[in-house]
Amino acid sequence: MILYIFTILFLLFVSPLLLGIIKSVKMFLLYKKPVSIFQPYYQFSKLLIKESIISTESSHITRVAPYLVLSPLVVVLFFLPPIFSGAFYVGFVDAFTIIGLISLSTFFLMLLGLDSGNSFGGIGSSREAFISSLVEPAMVLTVFCIGLMAKDLGIANASINLSEHFPKEYMASYLFSGISFFILLLAENGRLPVDNPETHLELTMVHEAMILDLSGFYLLLIELASSVKFVIFSSMFVSLFMPFGLGFSPLIAFVIFIAKMVFVALLVALIEVNGAKLRLFKVPNLLGVSIVLAFLSLISFYVLGN
Amino acid sequence: MINFSVGIFLATFIVAIFTTRFFRLIFWYGLNSFILGVLAILIGIEDADKALIVSGIITIVLKAFIIPYVLKFISKKFSIQRDIDPSVKVHFNIMLIPAIIVFTFYLTGPFTQMLGVHANFVAIAISALFLSLILMIEHSCVAPKIIGFLMMENSLFLLGVTSAGGMPMFIEIGMFFDLMMAIVIVNLLLKEEGIR
Repeated sequence: MILYIFTILFLLFVSPLLLGIIKSVKMFLLYKKPVSIFQPYYQFSKLLIKESIISTESSHITRVAPYLVLSPLVVVLFFLPPIFSGAFYVGFVDAFTIIGLISLSTFFLMLLGLDSGNSFGGIGSSREAFISSLVEPAMVLTVFCIGLMAKDLGIANASINLSEHFPKEYMASYLFSGISFFILLLAENGRLPVDNPETHLELTMVHEAMILDLSGFYLLLIELASSVKFVIFSSMFVSLFMPFGLGFSPLIAFVIFIAKMVFVALLVALIEVNGAKLRLFKVPNLLGVSIVLAFLSLISFYVLGN
Repeated sequence: MINFSVGIFLATFIVAIFTTRFFRLIFWYGLNSFILGVLAILIGIEDADKALIVSGIITIVLKAFIIPYVLKFISKKFSIQRDIDPSVKVHFNIMLIPAIIVFTFYLTGPFTQMLGVHANFVAIAISALFLSLILMIEHSCVAPKIIGFLMMENSLFLLGVTSAGGMPMFIEIGMFFDLMMAIVIVNLLLKEEGIR
């Protein structure tokens, strides 16, 4: 139980660090002087001090929505796979519940964008709805494939089953769903091929457009929510698609887990440096590739498996 | 490991169909050929077939490095149009590719019992054949059509390796020479394309 609570607290506190690592690696690769990897913590503490101003046009939803954006994601943290062997985990929650909770958070984010009353919020919300509705089918298919391979639909149970005996005969299927899930990781977190998290250019922004009106504590909540979302996805990716290292003693398992998370962050940073942002109407093509690969994973499970 | 390589092989085909840049397409072709060579070597080690290992090494050297380099060099020399937009829309491809793959998997169902150990990969090889056909159909300019042709040759090689345990060495070396000749002819075609 102690390890379980420790895991949740660790994931909550490490979440800004991962975004910091991505940012500083990107700056290093672009031959800039990199910022400290603890930069997000400074920013969050700065936002905590600042006063928060709410537009007179907006209704009470703006006051409530930031909490409702963050809270489903924090609930999801409790359902994530364990990173220590023998630690307590929630086994009764299946993957579809997690997807539902993440969509609930996205729903309140879109509501927040619409409520702000300026035109950017509306644009951002409609784009977010567009992207997240395309992410959904691929996500369900991928999770379903992983459930088939691990013989359990729950994320935590699936990850433990995978680490105990790895499905060597389903390797092709596993690869396809891995690629598909990584594309979804990029799309859901608003990373570069789908959305550029660094610019405030009105034509391209998706996530930033919705939170343009917020300041102070509310902005802190939303930024924390987006970093927690990244941690959720990368932790799911790490424990479902790199299922090794769980069997060691707690300290070594913990070090391996951190190394894997940093590896995912490095991978995202490399993709961001090497690629350009897609036009908004080309985003369905990327997600289409993801859907095709997820479907292919399902087919090759039946064809190559036996 | 063989299963994993087959997975990457099919994945490169799918990504190649969605690609809109010529050099990226050449890169996917190179990766595809590299994986094919690795696959041939792995199957050769498993079956203790020296001829298959040799042809795997030739595949890696020739198709994964020399041919992509030559194609890149030629297309730069004749300033081929590198922006290739497929004429089949992505939305149709998203439906078409799974349909083709499911279709071929059911098509090859009856005769997989007759074949040897790698019978399941025959379905992958035949679906790769159809996917390279799509790659040839969906582009209107010559350069990507050539890549489609070369990828079709790759999938035929996979079909030979998986269904018959590799063709005789003599025929395979002949095929490699044919491929070299094809590249020389491609040179002429691209020259025409570049002048226009």
